Amino acid sequence: MQSRAHLWFIGPAMALMFIVLLIPILIAVGLSLTDYSLGNQGAEFVGLENYERIFTRSTYEKMFVATFRYVFVVVPLTVGLGLGAALLIHSLGRFGDLYKTIYFLPVMAALIAMAIVWEFAFHPTIGIINSTLEKGCGTFLEAWPWYAKGCERTFPLWLNDRDYAIWTVSFIGVWQGFGFNMVLYLAGLTSIPPQLYDAAEMDGATRGWDRFRLVTWPLLGPTTVFVVTISFIRSFQVFDMVEAFYPQGGGPSKSVFVMMFAIYEKGIQQNLMGIGAAITVVFLAFVMVLTVIQRWLVERRTHYV
Amino acid sequence: MARIQLDQIEKRFGDTPVLKGVSLDIQDGEFVTLVGPSGCGKSTLLRILSGLEAADSGRVVIDDRDVTGVRPADRNLAMVFQSYALYPHLTVAENMMTPLRMRDLTPVQRMPVVGPLIARGPHRDMRKQASDVAETLKITALMDRKPGQLSGGQRQRVALGRAMVRKPLAFLMDEPLSNLDAALRVHMRAELSELHRRLKATFVYVTHDQAEALTMSDRMAVMMHGDILQVGAPDEIYLDPNTLEVARFIGSPAINTLPAEAQGDGLLHVLGVSKPAPMTTTRQPVTVGVRPEHLVLKEAGRFSGTVRHRENLGADVFLHLEMAGLQQPLVLRATPQDAARIALGDNAAFDFDPADMLVFDAQGGRLRATTPAREVA
Repeated sequence: MQSRAHLWFIGPAMALMFIVLLIPILIAVGLSLTDYSLGNQGAEFVGLENYERIFTRSTYEKMFVATFRYVFVVVPLTVGLGLGAALLIHSLGRFGDLYKTIYFLPVMAALIAMAIVWEFAFHPTIGIINSTLEKGCGTFLEAWPWYAKGCERTFPLWLNDRDYAIWTVSFIGVWQGFGFNMVLYLAGLTSIPPQLYDAAEMDGATRGWDRFRLVTWPLLGPTTVFVVTISFIRSFQVFDMVEAFYPQGGGPSKSVFVMMFAIYEKGIQQNLMGIGAAITVVFLAFVMVLTVIQRWLVERRTHYV
Repeated sequence: MARIQLDQIEKRFGDTPVLKGVSLDIQDGEFVTLVGPSGCGKSTLLRILSGLEAADSGRVVIDDRDVTGVRPADRNLAMVFQSYALYPHLTVAENMMTPLRMRDLTPVQRMPVVGPLIARGPHRDMRKQASDVAETLKITALMDRKPGQLSGGQRQRVALGRAMVRKPLAFLMDEPLSNLDAALRVHMRAELSELHRRLKATFVYVTHDQAEALTMSDRMAVMMHGDILQVGAPDEIYLDPNTLEVARFIGSPAINTLPAEAQGDGLLHVLGVSKPAPMTTTRQPVTVGVRPEHLVLKEAGRFSGTVRHRENLGADVFLHLEMAGLQQPLVLRATPQDAARIALGDNAAFDFDPADMLVFDAQGGRLRATTPAREVA
């Protein structure tokens, strides 16, 4: 008779994976096909109606616009700044640790608390940002039409103007996030064998850019794939900042109505579990696609076994 | 082709002096080995020669041009690293072309896709040069592989190829064979010697393995504690070491050392036996060094020891002999026929010719005879 020992080895892990990961996802998929509300006795099966709504109604169009604006501003900037900061700090001898700590502080700080500080800073009249900008009025800066307009009337209501809100939130997202990528890149930089730089120097790579192109960037390949994926997932997940700035629903004209906030508003605040679950499934699909791309890239391109 | 002069090179790491005023003159086309135990400063000296490390004081002169302040890329030297340091994301061909790309192409010509289109000639030349070198090193079949897909020996060749491709003034090698297995190492020793003969280029080779130094070099420099103790042809260093440290470091198994007493009258007493030693003129304690191959099994030998260990290498057998008054066993080289007659635990009688003795004073300095002495039988 064949031994059944293997079941005991894989059993616990399989059971855990099903209970905490796969079954909840399947439940969410199931709920997204109904109009279930928490507390209701039963629910009507509505087919793909929830999904149809997501891809046709203008509220959800705003949701996708806000989410993608945020993601495609924050990801390139946090990755770029993270790499830049890591390269600069890596080249430092003495004050590296100090800069590392400073840049990493926003990552450690609770964003909810930081949001209050930023709210003050961006306050239209008493905020430090606009009062600083006003000091520049009457100088050469007024040659810039945008600046002159600000002096004439007022500077923007950063957080409450629908043309500015999502970009302001993205800026805070970058501020908060790039330190994390910097730490990942620093780890990647320390794992590059120093002999490769020696070899590059002997081979005639005299300019910093040549060394970066020949050694640093290719050898950071695996790190970059990981950093980009993580940044994408983290930016898709942005929620606390939006909740702190706009508890009443997605900012001016729903211009900051990001996906996570939409799930929260629909599923929790309005108790529309069906539509909330449907947005969750769409969100999950995005993350899945990203993860698959990452796996593919990692296996194809960046591992030099 | 280059003559390299190192002049009074000094280097400290923090408070630790690593090189204490080292000078070395390397002739054009010479194969010079820097050999010494780990931590003796040999790799640092090579890095200073390459320019990757700056000396605290002293000068590096290549072909009468002072390059002390010149950056490595502009010294036109090539280096082979212990870890090979191949670019893992580039194929073998691209790795070998890198030095040419960096030196001969402008940044625009180096751009991907566009570069090869606007500069077809230079790119074709580069490929030609790389494939010529690949042919010499017999790695043509590997040109499209990545370093990760190669064995240690193949990577070694690619690293050599990358160094050869741009015809540098000199080749610097930092323990290039130490990551290979024993058989391959012996094979590569022969190949490197052959390569040196063919290229007729200056080779500076760093190793901790005295066998590599003895087999390949035209001259070798034995380094210890940040100093060059002796420079000379391998034979000269092996047969005529200047100090006890050099004698101990070069040769495997290591030289036997015996405590002895010089009588001041041209005789010395070693383990109760008297030997003529015209190099000694004063009464003093000395150390006598005798190589294992100079100890001879002899029925009438005046020394005897108990065989504690037999090291059979096939062609030779090394007998480890324990003797009263010695902490270290003596090592004696015997032919298999002679050794077959002696079992473990037997007493073996042996002797040596006083002409084969190397005598060192208490400070480890060599005492030399003015006229050679032969024992009167």
